[in-house]
Amino acid sequence: MRIGVIGLILSPTFSFLEMMWRICPALAVGCTVVVLVPPGSPTPLLLAQLAGELGSFPGILNMINGPASLGPILASQPGVQKVTFCGAVEEGRVLRRTLAGQGAELGLALGAESLLVLTEAADVDSAVEGVVDAAWSDRSAGGLRLLIQESVWDETMRRLRERMARLRGGRGLDGAVDMGARGAAAHDLAQRYVREAQSQGAQVFQAGDVPSVSPFFPPTLVSDLPPASPCTQAEVPWPVVVASPFRTAKEALAVANGTPRGGSASVWSERPGQALELGYGLRVGTVWINAHGLRHPEVPIGGCKESGSSWHGGPDGLYEYLRPSGTPARLPSLSENLNYDTFGLAVPLTLPSGPEIGPSPAAPYGLFIGGRFQAPGARSSRCIQDSKGNLHAYVAEGGAKDIRGAVEAAHQAAPGWVTRPPGARASLLWALASALERREPALASALERHGVELKTAKVEVELSVRRLRAWGARAQAQGHVLQVAELRGPVLRLREPLGVLAIVCPDEWPLLAFASLLAAALAHGNTVVLVPSGVCPIPALEVCQDMATLLPAGLVNVVTGDRDHLTRCLALHQDVQALWYFGSAQGSQFVEWASAGNLKPVWVNRGHPRAWDQEAQGAGPELGLRAARTKALWLPMGD
Amino acid sequence: MSARNLGTELDLSWISKIQVNQPAVLRRAEQIQARRVVKKEWQAAWLLKAVTFIDLTTLSGDDTSSNVQRLCYKAKYPIREDLLKALNVHDKGLTTAAVCVYPARVCDAVKALKAAGSTIPVASVATGFPAGQTHLKTRLEEIRLAVEDGATEIDVVINRTLVLTGQWEGSDFIKTSTGKETVNATFPVAIVMLRAIRDFFWKTGNKIGFKPAGGIRSAKDSLAWLSLIKEELGDEWLTPELFRIGASTLLSDIERQIYHHVTGRYAAYHDLPMS
Repeated sequence: MRIGVIGLILSPTFSFLEMMWRICPALAVGCTVVVLVPPGSPTPLLLAQLAGELGSFPGILNMINGPASLGPILASQPGVQKVTFCGAVEEGRVLRRTLAGQGAELGLALGAESLLVLTEAADVDSAVEGVVDAAWSDRSAGGLRLLIQESVWDETMRRLRERMARLRGGRGLDGAVDMGARGAAAHDLAQRYVREAQSQGAQVFQAGDVPSVSPFFPPTLVSDLPPASPCTQAEVPWPVVVASPFRTAKEALAVANGTPRGGSASVWSERPGQALELGYGLRVGTVWINAHGLRHPEVPIGGCKESGSSWHGGPDGLYEYLRPSGTPARLPSLSENLNYDTFGLAVPLTLPSGPEIGPSPAAPYGLFIGGRFQAPGARSSRCIQDSKGNLHAYVAEGGAKDIRGAVEAAHQAAPGWVTRPPGARASLLWALASALERREPALASALERHGVELKTAKVEVELSVRRLRAWGARAQAQGHVLQVAELRGPVLRLREPLGVLAIVCPDEWPLLAFASLLAAALAHGNTVVLVPSGVCPIPALEVCQDMATLLPAGLVNVVTGDRDHLTRCLALHQDVQALWYFGSAQGSQFVEWASAGNLKPVWVNRGHPRAWDQEAQGAGPELGLRAARTKALWLPMGD
Repeated sequence: MSARNLGTELDLSWISKIQVNQPAVLRRAEQIQARRVVKKEWQAAWLLKAVTFIDLTTLSGDDTSSNVQRLCYKAKYPIREDLLKALNVHDKGLTTAAVCVYPARVCDAVKALKAAGSTIPVASVATGFPAGQTHLKTRLEEIRLAVEDGATEIDVVINRTLVLTGQWEGSDFIKTSTGKETVNATFPVAIVMLRAIRDFFWKTGNKIGFKPAGGIRSAKDSLAWLSLIKEELGDEWLTPELFRIGASTLLSDIERQIYHHVTGRYAAYHDLPMS
């Protein structure tokens, strides 16, 4: 069902098309939209006027002309369920930080740079046309990073230079030009970048019949930029192309994935095997094979990493504006003055309040990292008390070092897990479910000690087993084929794992929530770093004993300790691909704020408990949607 | 003709390294037709330039000396005099590039052009046009006779049997096809041929000419072809020595466009002299 009210914030350099890409799907599924338009842009206001003339339903499309500082005010209005933004990476980061803790969810689509990989088996002339489409035309979104295989470097550069000489620039409405201008700001950005690159030792080639006055900027080709220079990490502005060589396809993948950008890329090779391998291996949202810049409303467009995780077009574009029926609307949360610098920094001491009475408990549980139990770096434990206040057990006090180790172990296990066929994943989840079933008495009694009625505890265990089996059954190869009109050939909508997924489990339904979240994450090919419920971590740790024997090492890592401290470590970690947090409202706010670091997608509960036993909230399609990311792979056909 | 192509050693590895991606070429072909749109006096100028590339052709079974004569006259005066005067180009000696006829009609063409006092070359198709399935002896004899009669250019039909079995020949010009096939000169095919011409030039320094023929009927198409040559090969190839358009009705359409530019009205077919 539809979400509700959507707020759309436009960046100062927005394009009309991008705005329509976001307004139209939102209206189509029944949401109403409020758009914050930067001052000095009359076109959206004209659109609003036209919408007003239709007259049937006032208030569906609203435009406010104002500065960016109104953004947080818009987001904090009660009833605004989601805020979408598309624009530059830094603006997106700032927005993420300022909107942390507000009621609305934030969708970001950032950056405009794309990538082109030219192998030696490519049709070089057509690839050069691809470069023109990607970077030197009015249709291009931004600049281009061009990776050329060494063996075809010379002939590609020659053809590029020839082609650039034939490009024409001028006023956009002149029918015979290839590229217009994008304003003085874009011109200055490009000029700064080119000067920087030159000062860092790069060769710069500019050509084309373009007026030499600002804001016109000629097509630019930068080569020989040292890989260690700051310009290689910065985003390439329009209309600049930065070319670098590579030796093998494997190196191309490493270089291509070696930047924070994750938007779109094209692979040029007439060898289908090589093209597909590169296409699957690139960590981006859209891959075109032997083409660049193709778009269609049925195909989702989005990104990963620092390109943000919001989508438009295709089914994913619609899911942005929908929430599963049966889940509650987002309630406004209290945005207190949370000190981000000190949240979770220090671990409060957890000494037992009185003398310990009762039988000596078992040896303390360690941390479950890399497939085995190990002692925490801090060499200390915390005690877990049952509902009567008696000592139940000791669990490890995990810290920053342990989180680091856990994330590393998860990354090491990731390549192996991703390449396993869905059948293997399914059988592992089923084996884990059976192991849980065998452990039912121990788990039920552990839950009972924490105040859960025996009957409910048994139900909890049974549901957990069922959830694991259900997600196992759903672990098929995700993705399907889209037939796009006007294109000969398929477009694949692939669902790929996010990578390392960090989960902070809730205190309600300690075993069931743990199992539900874990199952969904594993079924989609992710590796997991998990912080179990702080109040009742014992069931999760019991399950770890089975995971030690059944699952590959590092696939699931469980770290116990102070929830706020561990959350801080995970949220600030640059190499965690996504974070699911089910804790306090303050923690949710911190997670949203800290995710601005690497712009990881986050899912928080803002302190509201979730009914994990109900299908819609505990095992619904929402978990499946959030546990993987989409990639659109275009395969134009013809010989 | 530009300097003769002296040829090179046949190096099949050049060909085996070539990769052509069809969907990408099709996309480029669509783009070409849309990207370089010229209007008003610039369009008129380009159309006049297009006229100078035309190989005015008649290849019908019922060609006789009378229609060949009419064709040759049209080749000498492709655009009506008053239209040229209005554009102030009447003194530029605007003619088509050549006249193209069957070998049997070469005599008539040469006679007609001489009578009109023109130096336009006569091109002849030869070698068993259009199928090329005749004996080598007669094909060579055809060429000899056509040249004897006064033809200075020959459109040779290559032996497709040899092509399909991998035995290649060299030439000064390459033509998209005889013009008598079901599909003749299309932009995707042309793009691939032009890239090959450019590559050959980069490798050997020899400039090979290009001639699309068959199916080019509208003035708009001819402008697209001109801009294609300019984009892919450059201004150097925009001369009759290196670029020809094999066409017959194209000239009338160009003339009608010029008429419209000069007078602002659309002409009927009978307003302009037949070719």
